[in-house]
Amino acid sequence: MSDALKELEEILNVTLPGNLVEEVVKVEEGHFNVFSNATNAFELMKILREDAGIYHLTTISGVEKDDEFNVCYHIQHRIEDEFREVPINFTVTKIDKNKPKTPSMIDFFVAADYYEREIYDFYGVYFENHPFLQRLILPERWPDDVKPMRKEYGWEQIKEITMKIAKEALEEAKE
Amino acid sequence: MTEQYRSRFRTLTDGSDSPPGADHHIFIGPQHPWAEEPAHFIIHLKGERVVEADIRIGFNLRGIEKAMENRTWRQNTMLVPRACGICSAVHQNVYVRVVEKLAGVEDQISERARLIRMFSLEAERVHSHILWYGILAHDAGFDTMLHISWRDREIIMDIVEDFSGNRVNPALMLPGGVKRDIPKDKADKARPMLNKLIKQVEYHKKVFTEEASIRNRLENVGVLTKDDAKITTPNGPTGRGSGLPFDMRKSFPYELYDKIDWNLVCYNEGDILATTLVRIDETLESLQMCNQILDQLESTQGELLARVKPRVPEGSYMARGEAPRGEDIHYGIANGTDKPERYKIRAPSLGNIDATLKRMDGEYVADMPVILRSYDPCFSCTNRVMLINEVTGEKIIMNQDEFARKAIKAKRYNRPFF
Repeated sequence: MSDALKELEEILNVTLPGNLVEEVVKVEEGHFNVFSNATNAFELMKILREDAGIYHLTTISGVEKDDEFNVCYHIQHRIEDEFREVPINFTVTKIDKNKPKTPSMIDFFVAADYYEREIYDFYGVYFENHPFLQRLILPERWPDDVKPMRKEYGWEQIKEITMKIAKEALEEAKE
Repeated sequence: MTEQYRSRFRTLTDGSDSPPGADHHIFIGPQHPWAEEPAHFIIHLKGERVVEADIRIGFNLRGIEKAMENRTWRQNTMLVPRACGICSAVHQNVYVRVVEKLAGVEDQISERARLIRMFSLEAERVHSHILWYGILAHDAGFDTMLHISWRDREIIMDIVEDFSGNRVNPALMLPGGVKRDIPKDKADKARPMLNKLIKQVEYHKKVFTEEASIRNRLENVGVLTKDDAKITTPNGPTGRGSGLPFDMRKSFPYELYDKIDWNLVCYNEGDILATTLVRIDETLESLQMCNQILDQLESTQGELLARVKPRVPEGSYMARGEAPRGEDIHYGIANGTDKPERYKIRAPSLGNIDATLKRMDGEYVADMPVILRSYDPCFSCTNRVMLINEVTGEKIIMNQDEFARKAIKAKRYNRPFF
């Protein structure tokens, strides 16, 4: 067991089972990175939400690696008596690139709803058990198969698509 | 939990998902005189009471995150404040802290540079809060307060312009420090102006707490209890009005906020008046912090800019800052080159929408503008990720007069701009 994991367990006052956690890294004083893979992430988040009482989800970021997607939940452990927060970057690793699929955390955080939809928009990561996984931020005319934040789409390509849908919209408005 | 509360970002355009019992539906936006910002609100009513309110966003996506992956870390320093029109300094501050941590130079930043950064941040908080409660008074039908508060806001705008050259985008920060110094003569000039503004803001507070016509519009309206706040996760003044005492400057101190005297403002009532008073009290706190910073600047010396190499070593870092609207979070991943691998920004407004729409349940339709205004809507930063529309790719360099002349001509004769 690493020192970082021990310290985090002390702060949260729970035990994090070793088989669920891949790695815990201490970034700086009171700031941790927790890694867990797509199979175990839901169980681990359940412990963090229900036993440790973490209720604040700041945001979720999607990350594209060479051979996998990562989804990073930025959650805050809030200690109200001391006016203190312990930020935790909870990264879900090993999301298959061909069929990106990961459990939705909407059972624990209401705010996960729109942040997960944002990642679905930008990366095409499918969140299992999300009740309303639909487009949130991209324009209505945006082609369904283009996921703009993926590395395969360069800046020039995105600009071209934008121009195309803008032209279509203009022509429709003229008619 | 999700059965009890559902997120409000789920509206279908055909209205087929309206809640049972609603007999009228009001659609606001994306173009509407009430709001300067593009968002589509759908208010479901039964008689005069709101049953439920929904929102659709995504009308102003600019693609800043994608654009940042195509620019160097140094160029992004100037792109990142454009994420928000009014809280630009805080975006830049969080960004430079991410870069400094990744480059490993965060210990080399001098105290003087940090103090100048803090002055910029606090001045921004002052002008953003004054602007907001002016508009709130306008929405509540009290236009005199709008004119009074915006008149007094010019004092802090003049100070920011004097120190940085710009009114709303001071752009003082760079990875490694700051660009400009605050010399002693300018600080001496600013001090009486700050003291005058403190008096004026105290007067504004008196108006909001004692004037019956505005107090009646705000008191016990749109109450968000602490339990609801924990579920809908508001941040910043919206949360602090509902008894969640979390301010990044106290809860996870950055720059030199732990070395300066200031008090955390928190109210437990949860209504619109509480969020207003949080912001007014914070304005006063920020102004006294500005005074403290100017005093400390006199005795603090140091290099303004430390050297940061253009290539940032591999790694990832998440940094947060307290924007006027709440919690601003940046997550940067570097891959060893001079460009970021991935850069994620979340501005505070997006996190506050759910809580604000929750406030509206069961309220009168007449209180709607005030409640919707309560979280200080700023949609440029809510939809910050978007595609810049370049007409032809042609580049022209012109000065301000030429630009204005050309714009007027284009408008008058209905000609294309380029």
